[in-house]
Amino acid sequence: MRRLLYLLREAVANVLTNRTTTLVAVATTAFTFACVGVFLLLYVNLRAMASSFEQDIQVMVYLQDDLTEQARTEIEQQLKLDRAIGSLTFVSKERALADFQAQFPSESRLLQGLGQNPLPASFVVTLASESRSSDAMRRWANRTQLIPGVSQVQYNQEWVEALAGIVRYLEVAAIIVGVILSAASVTIIANTIRLALYSRREEIEILSLIGASTTFIRVPYLLEGAALGLCGSALSLAILKAGFELFRHQIHSATRFLGVDALLMFFSFDMCLVLMLVGLFLGSAGSFLSLLRFGEGRA
Amino acid sequence: MIQLFHVSKYYDRRPALSDVTLEIEKGEFVLLMGPSGAGKSTLLKLLIGAERPDEGQILVQGRSLSKLRPSEIPVLRRKVGIVLQDFRLLPKKTVFDNVSLPLLVQGASATEIRRKVAEALRAVGLDHKKDLFPPGLSTGEQQRICIARAIVNGPIMLLADEPTGNLDPDLTREIIELFKSINARGTTIIVATHDPHVLAQVNRRVIALDHGKVVSREQVAS
Repeated sequence: MRRLLYLLREAVANVLTNRTTTLVAVATTAFTFACVGVFLLLYVNLRAMASSFEQDIQVMVYLQDDLTEQARTEIEQQLKLDRAIGSLTFVSKERALADFQAQFPSESRLLQGLGQNPLPASFVVTLASESRSSDAMRRWANRTQLIPGVSQVQYNQEWVEALAGIVRYLEVAAIIVGVILSAASVTIIANTIRLALYSRREEIEILSLIGASTTFIRVPYLLEGAALGLCGSALSLAILKAGFELFRHQIHSATRFLGVDALLMFFSFDMCLVLMLVGLFLGSAGSFLSLLRFGEGRA
Repeated sequence: MIQLFHVSKYYDRRPALSDVTLEIEKGEFVLLMGPSGAGKSTLLKLLIGAERPDEGQILVQGRSLSKLRPSEIPVLRRKVGIVLQDFRLLPKKTVFDNVSLPLLVQGASATEIRRKVAEALRAVGLDHKKDLFPPGLSTGEQQRICIARAIVNGPIMLLADEPTGNLDPDLTREIIELFKSINARGTTIIVATHDPHVLAQVNRRVIALDHGKVVSREQVAS
């Protein structure tokens, strides 16, 4: 217990001894984490939007005009057994016409001129959540297209795939930027710890002479690195939250985007905890690297 | 207790120690004499595992230091007290904290630390200064604190590298008397020095080194 207290006290002493360096390290780490955070936030929001849009996407399964009632019922039964389908509504030719006339009253004259109802009967399908990705949707559409009696399966494929593409690109960008900036954070923390090590090298030598184990000597510096990473990530979250609220307020003020601000979301509490743990881990990694190099230098 | 067999150590191919063979018994008080660069400090570094011999064998309590794993070196050093010319005290820690460090790294309990630090400070006559900081002490007091730190965990041997290098003859006498009283309790003491005042006061075995070689092994009756 006394040993643990000593190690904690030493970690705090390290921070206080190199106050300016520590502050610069925390601020720089916070800035780099915030840059990664912007990408993550963009990714999280676009992904949530994509998933929300995917929920709204309905697939139209158009039926051939000459289909008998029995054939239609068979198709309906087959679709109802399909696990990829969440819900299913039948729209008859007459209902389709009535809907069209209700939605486009000025264009209804065009259909009257054709004599007979040209609109096909259809099933309006909402897919189950696990089948809403663009790939799953395309596979399902291709499969359903082959059912006898189905004339066409239609959904806004380009739009869904474009959105999925953006999310994918953003995911890759977030990973690349995340890796680069995380490496930068590790380097910044490693340099801070290295400065602390050099400023206290005499003390380290004394500890080594009186029989302190490597772990005993290293723990305060590992704790310091972890604390720097944790503080940096916590500060970056505060910066991001402030920036996010400002952005949401701006969006809300602009009337043409009214309602969009409600869709925007910040990281969940769990996600914040994970990001802080990542900061802690990166800080420890920075310390560890410095300690390794310091050890090699002394050997 | 300490045996060296044909030990050599080189720095940049120049011998710091050359074919040194010697033996030091348990409870002995030995002076390592010689001018600067004779190899005294190198010999002490070898004895605490800070350096490894390039040739030969060193045994401490029958254990070969060459075969020690890096993780075993701290264990060896906990059995050895070290006193240096520049004291190496931590200026921002109190006398108590400085002296308690060897016990702390061993994981001693708070009660044990309090008791042993008090004993060590009493042994060097500075128990009333436990709450002061090293920069507020005289040179002689700082050296005595350094000795208290070296003996606080009851080491089997005490190594001192030029312990009186920064002290005047009166303080030198004080420190040597302190070493004698520690030695009288059974601790083996090896003092590396080139100070003739020490030689005059100790009157024990002298091992003279020059250019890394043992040039004489004078046994003086105690």
